[in-house]
Amino acid sequence: MSGNEVAGEAAVAAGCRFYAGYPITPQNQLTEYMSRRVPEVGGVFIQAESELAAINMVFGAAAAGARAMTSSSSPGISLKQEGISYLAGCELPAVIVNMNRAGPGLGDVTPSQADYFQSTRGGGHGDYRTITLGPQNLQELYDLTYLAFELADRYRNPALILGDGILAQVMEPVRLKPLRRVRPAPAWALTGCGDGPPRKILSLFLKPGVAEAHNWRLAAKYRRIEVREQRWDEFQVEDAKLVVAAFGSSARIARASVQAAREEGLAVGLFRPVSLWPFPYQPLRRLAEGRRRFLVVEMNLGQMVEDVRLAVENRGPVSFYGRPGGGVPTPEEILKVIRKTYRGAER
Amino acid sequence: MPEHLLSPGHTACAGCGQALAARLVIDTAGPNTIIVNNTGCLEVFTTAYPESAWEVPFIHSLFENAGAVASGVESALRQTGRLDQIRVIAQAGDGGTADIGLQALSGMWERGHDILSICYDNEAYMNTGIQRSGLTPTYTSTTTSPAGKASAGNPRPKKNVMEIALAHGIPYVASASAGFPMDLQKKVKKALAIRGPKYLHIHVPCPLGWRHEPADTYRVARLAVETGLFPMVEFEGGQQTGAYTLSAPKPVAEYLKLQGRFRHLFKPGAEAALQEIQAIADRNIARYGLVKPA
Repeated sequence: MSGNEVAGEAAVAAGCRFYAGYPITPQNQLTEYMSRRVPEVGGVFIQAESELAAINMVFGAAAAGARAMTSSSSPGISLKQEGISYLAGCELPAVIVNMNRAGPGLGDVTPSQADYFQSTRGGGHGDYRTITLGPQNLQELYDLTYLAFELADRYRNPALILGDGILAQVMEPVRLKPLRRVRPAPAWALTGCGDGPPRKILSLFLKPGVAEAHNWRLAAKYRRIEVREQRWDEFQVEDAKLVVAAFGSSARIARASVQAAREEGLAVGLFRPVSLWPFPYQPLRRLAEGRRRFLVVEMNLGQMVEDVRLAVENRGPVSFYGRPGGGVPTPEEILKVIRKTYRGAER
Repeated sequence: MPEHLLSPGHTACAGCGQALAARLVIDTAGPNTIIVNNTGCLEVFTTAYPESAWEVPFIHSLFENAGAVASGVESALRQTGRLDQIRVIAQAGDGGTADIGLQALSGMWERGHDILSICYDNEAYMNTGIQRSGLTPTYTSTTTSPAGKASAGNPRPKKNVMEIALAHGIPYVASASAGFPMDLQKKVKKALAIRGPKYLHIHVPCPLGWRHEPADTYRVARLAVETGLFPMVEFEGGQQTGAYTLSAPKPVAEYLKLQGRFRHLFKPGAEAALQEIQAIADRNIARYGLVKPA
């Protein structure tokens, strides 16, 4: 299966029965897959007239109690931001897959990680966060997409999968889970009031202090997520003098560079955030306490490096190597940077 | 001056009806034209930066924004007193016109900007891999409306953008086809001589998405008109003033059977669907007076 199909199949397995999408490269196969697969399991597939329509259909379906998903790639995700802000404000669960391509503007259809800020800082207007998971291979894409539905429900919050053009197009075998039973509509959903009082879902709070109180409540929820949902992966970091930090496809490439560096006798390890928000500050801070040097590798001009600096807090030097605009680094390229940075580490 | 204002060497597929129509349009409009293009095949295959096939000024913004960007361009030209010498064309494919771009287009028409908007209608999102659009005809197989056991393809009717344009009360609305180049050029010339918003809907075959032979583009385009499935009509001041009339409309099967996207309609059990498409052509013929009474 291709990455696009894997993300779609994971959603179906997680009990998602509503998908709305709109064409954009490199995630078209996901929309195409869902056009066949979702009706097959008795769900609803809608090709919307725009990304804005797709995210708002997801908003409506989530409000009515369905597990709902949409997907796109960077320019389309920008267009969805208004809807994502409203999902966060109204505390509705939904999963959004972004197969990140190069920007700004229409950019290029080549892989990129330049949407890190947009994904982990909220993306739209207002003070909110979206749960963001960054898979590095197709098994993880499957597992994390499945998980994203659970987290979105648990915290009533939109959850993002931040992939890229590589992950979308590559083909790998994946171990599938049995299809989860479709959950009933939650107690807060709009399901018709019958004899009870009507439920209302909104995010406009005009009375003095009410919007602030709502934001404080959201802040407490975000704090709970930060404490409970940090996910990461470590590779040969224990004795490492230099730790490479990377996520998603960059991490997968950098792992080969780290292995090659080890073969040259350099004490290098890899720290890979899996949840990008909440960012795994605690484990990275622990590593920083061991007087290590850090090298952050990203397919952008330097975004996650800011989170790494916040975690390291000047306990060790943090340097950056990045390729923007659809550039993909090779393992040899990163190895050269590792060698150069490592010489600094030995001084 | 170059021979054509849309140069050869762009990356369109062999037999692309859109490339043919776009060249006819810009050659007719002339060099004092600014093109505002939505995202789509035409934008991608003519502007692989740093190359460009356009010999006229060209701007691309988002998928949905040509109507708004062109409104800005036209307003700036008006404000600086250059609108008498320069023509503005806002162009898009069927998705960029009828789906995601409709809101901006409606605003542009409603405000009365002096712009010619063109829809190159190849009846699906071809640039991204043949997904259905609001202009995909009934029972077309696309990647998001696949025909199979449970479905005969796109279940919905093709949206009538001509009628939407007419509802804005704009002075000129017409449809044309890549299969009728003289007619197309005549309509572009006429539209550009009228001040205010103009809409031209051009039917353009796509060998890749329609799955017909690249050499058949012209034939397929003509058959769409000759069967009544794509009416070539003209409206001035809200009234129909012209139609390409047929002495004897051809059966729709002649048009459909040349294209892989309709292949499933020629299998046993698809007779009703085929009849429904014939009924669409018959309705067009009656509605727009495509057959002159003898």
